[in-house]
Amino acid sequence: MLDVYVWFYTGVLLVIIGSIGTVAGPGVRDPLVRTLNTEIPAIGVSLIFLTYNHTIALLTFIGATAIITMILLRAIVRLEEMGAEL
Amino acid sequence: MSASVLVPNVVSPVVVSLYLPAIFTGLFAGLIGLLAITYQKNDLHTLILTDIVGVAMLIIVAAVGTDLAESLILPGLVVELAEILAISEILMSREMRKLGKTVELVPLPLNLDMEILDTAPTFIAILLIAYGAFLSGFTGGAIAGGGILFYVLSKMTRGVPFNIWEGVAGVSGIAWCLWLIGFILFFIAPDYWLLALFLAAFGIFIKVTFKVGLIGVLGREEFKKDKE
Repeated sequence: MLDVYVWFYTGVLLVIIGSIGTVAGPGVRDPLVRTLNTEIPAIGVSLIFLTYNHTIALLTFIGATAIITMILLRAIVRLEEMGAEL
Repeated sequence: MSASVLVPNVVSPVVVSLYLPAIFTGLFAGLIGLLAITYQKNDLHTLILTDIVGVAMLIIVAAVGTDLAESLILPGLVVELAEILAISEILMSREMRKLGKTVELVPLPLNLDMEILDTAPTFIAILLIAYGAFLSGFTGGAIAGGGILFYVLSKMTRGVPFNIWEGVAGVSGIAWCLWLIGFILFFIAPDYWLLALFLAAFGIFIKVTFKVGLIGVLGREEFKKDKE
């Protein structure tokens, strides 16, 4: 059945594909798209933590990722309202 | 296997077999992120790409696979969070100075002036803080901090009292000292281990809870700037 390695290598795949997608994916000139693309490696890291049974690290990581996304979105929206070059 | 010399017997074979793939994944993702930062001209894009490098760092730390990894990931996450918060503030204030325009502290696309934001936050915040105090330690601190953050964010539309944050930062410093004293007590007086444990647990609880004070202090600085 589904053993530990499936979760680990799915996580690895998501991290690598997500990193490449964030760096050079379609439409990443828009900072909003780039921020949303960072969620994919975040899911990958969550799966890797799950493989290693890092429960508290996993919970803290989920919370921290949500707050980081909020901070980045706030920065993007504020800079856009200022009319800065993005 | 040559690595078995270095690995203690308590580490499970699964973790040992996953060590090399995890390290190489981390190095590869970190390399991609750092290369992209090198070619990037825009500061905001650089900040977003820092997130990828942070992810790579977390994988390399997680590859250790014991409680040591867990205890190293938590401060890593907090440092990454504080770093991104600080750098985004610097970016925004620099652009503000350059363009000579000001925008509100938290730009919300919606008008969040709802009845439930007036009645619910106090109750939910008290519930979260009480549960956090019951848990104690790092997790409790995170939960109680979430409660305070929720309270502050939902009261934001009506304005937060900005002068209380000075006191919050002070209490946070004292709690940090409690934590240190707890740890020193473990070594110089092991007989009082229970006292040391409670000092350390509640010190880190209050400390992590008032990490929210950081956001409050930033908000107060903005508030001062607006008044001038």
